[in-house]
Amino acid sequence: MNSSTSVESSFLHRLAKHITASGKWAAIRNQSQKDLNMSSFPHKKIEEWRFTDLRPITRTEFVPFDEAGVFPATDIEQYFIPESDRSRLVFINGNYHEKYSSIGGLGKGVTVGNLSDFEEHDSVSEYLNKLVNYDNDVFVHFNGLNFVDGAFIHLEKDAKAEAPIQVLNLYTDAKEPFISTPRLLVVAEEESDVTIIEDHIGLAGNTYLTIPVCEVKAKQGAHIHHVRIQRDSLSALHVSRPIAYVEKNSEYHSYTINLGAKLARNEPRVVQEDEEVDFTLDGLVLIDGEQVADTHSVMDHRFSHGESHQLHKVVVNGSAHSIFNGKIFVRKDAQKIDSFQENRNLLLSNDGLVNTKPQLEIFADDVLCSHGATIGQLDPEEVFYLQSRGMTEEKAKEVLTYAFALETIENMKVESVHKLLIEEVYRYTKANTVAKVTA
Amino acid sequence: MLEIKNLHAVVEGEDIEILKGVNLKVNKGEIHAIMGPNGSGKSTLAKVAAGHPEYEVTGGDILYDGESILELDPDERAHAGIFLAFQYPVEVPGVTNTTLLRESYNTIAASRGREELDPLEFDDYISDKLELVQMKRDFLDRSVNTGFSGGEKKRNEIFQMAVLQPKLSLLDETDSGLDIDALKIVSDGINKLHGDDDAVILITHYQRLLNYIEPDFVHVMIGGKIVKSGDKTLALKLEEQGYDWLEAHATVNGEAG
Repeated sequence: MNSSTSVESSFLHRLAKHITASGKWAAIRNQSQKDLNMSSFPHKKIEEWRFTDLRPITRTEFVPFDEAGVFPATDIEQYFIPESDRSRLVFINGNYHEKYSSIGGLGKGVTVGNLSDFEEHDSVSEYLNKLVNYDNDVFVHFNGLNFVDGAFIHLEKDAKAEAPIQVLNLYTDAKEPFISTPRLLVVAEEESDVTIIEDHIGLAGNTYLTIPVCEVKAKQGAHIHHVRIQRDSLSALHVSRPIAYVEKNSEYHSYTINLGAKLARNEPRVVQEDEEVDFTLDGLVLIDGEQVADTHSVMDHRFSHGESHQLHKVVVNGSAHSIFNGKIFVRKDAQKIDSFQENRNLLLSNDGLVNTKPQLEIFADDVLCSHGATIGQLDPEEVFYLQSRGMTEEKAKEVLTYAFALETIENMKVESVHKLLIEEVYRYTKANTVAKVTA
Repeated sequence: MLEIKNLHAVVEGEDIEILKGVNLKVNKGEIHAIMGPNGSGKSTLAKVAAGHPEYEVTGGDILYDGESILELDPDERAHAGIFLAFQYPVEVPGVTNTTLLRESYNTIAASRGREELDPLEFDDYISDKLELVQMKRDFLDRSVNTGFSGGEKKRNEIFQMAVLQPKLSLLDETDSGLDIDALKIVSDGINKLHGDDDAVILITHYQRLLNYIEPDFVHVMIGGKIVKSGDKTLALKLEEQGYDWLEAHATVNGEAG
């Protein structure tokens, strides 16, 4: 146990001591406590973190949740999507709120609810905290020690969820910075089908750290469409660990929209568990001001006959900073893999910064992997073309930025989410227009 | 309608003068053709008139309806009724033809005191215009110029002209890259759109366009200046003799080069 001596205590280790046992999840808590004791808080000298300035997290004086003086959530109905009228789970600062939630509109074979009500469920025993695999990651371990509530979605064999399921994570204003540890477990049995809208929304402008951990299991022939929208407060810190395991003939399509947070670190991973799978890890990042958005993804092809797709689009304005590291692994015997990765960055300002690193590690010889990264500005010829058709320069830039971002939004199957994201893109481009005019 | 006076222009940030004192007067109801060899400044003249930010006017003036437009942004010139059909129309993925055109139509309509059209009204309005350039309806739902053939792009420019109803149209090599059938369609479109209240400036390399659109005046541009103006017979002479005789003329006067 030499490594334990080299672990430096961080604020997460200190805060861990204040967590009071809820009586739930004893085994996970014990394991997480042990793992946390063995894990250090990351820093820039570690390759995986070298572009990411973690000081916004380390310099914040987080207090135990009970001492944060959180205010109640108000006016939250505006965030309910109509399609999920009877399939909505609401968490406020990580705690489940039954009175805002609505479950039971999903038909036969679909179970949706608060994890802590399903401690004895077979799938919970089998998969919760077992799928999340991020090595010695303090964030995962802290979440494992701290979480009590969480979203649980289970589909029996052949079950089709009749409506999209909205998992709404709201964060309230507070007197002091606090930490929230949302949890999501999705288990889709053979040939089942579900659409999940996972939304993170900061209700005020306060500082908090949220560490969502999401585990997804797509069994044989299951189809999962997973939209993740991050609309945290602009002072918030967001570190998320969503991981999906895909079995034979299954499909997992994930679309992450990153709009908020001062610093967001997202590490989506997909692990292929058998042949004939199809998965997507698309992302859209729109950042401005001092925002930092960091995506470190892994697409792990372990078996033959897999198709994977990753389009990561980024718009950077102000002094914002985007980091992308997309790992594609193709293991030795994983032949006939067709993998596509593209990272396109649009820089709207002179002070924006983009670090991008596609990383392909291919050990099989019969695979088709394409990847590319581009960084560019709006084409002046395109701006002039639209201006010559009567649009103002601002409007032309807005339209072109929107067009750039649109490609990722087009895949949204849920109508209101599609509309919502179009509005968010317009709000982003509009805000930039205003900033430029007043500058 | 348009009066260009001793216009000088350089590429923004560079010292190379491309327009070296252009003079041109265009009245309502007229069609002018500007011809000339490659690199003579024809396209630059059109872009400068439309307000392209790549060029800086260093001398002279452009008057439109008696007012200088040099200080106007490209969109303000469009609002005033100036239209440039691009030599190389730009692809705008993600923005459909309909979206662009309705946005353009309504912005221009608003600034010229015409009534704005809602999507349904607009749909009716553009149906006729589609016929004018023989475009299919599905063309409207495609992203602007994205994946269009060269001919489709040029037809799209004339379609836009039909929809926006400009007062002054600058058509920059709209004929180049067109086969004979497409050339007829485009020419027919331009002829139908042209009337007593608007003016058209055709920029072209080839006399063949002028078989279909009859210009009132033909100008020859060489070395950043208009060196010769005449009626349509000038175009025929150029077809036969090329530009050499004019280049010699320009040099003798010590003005080109």
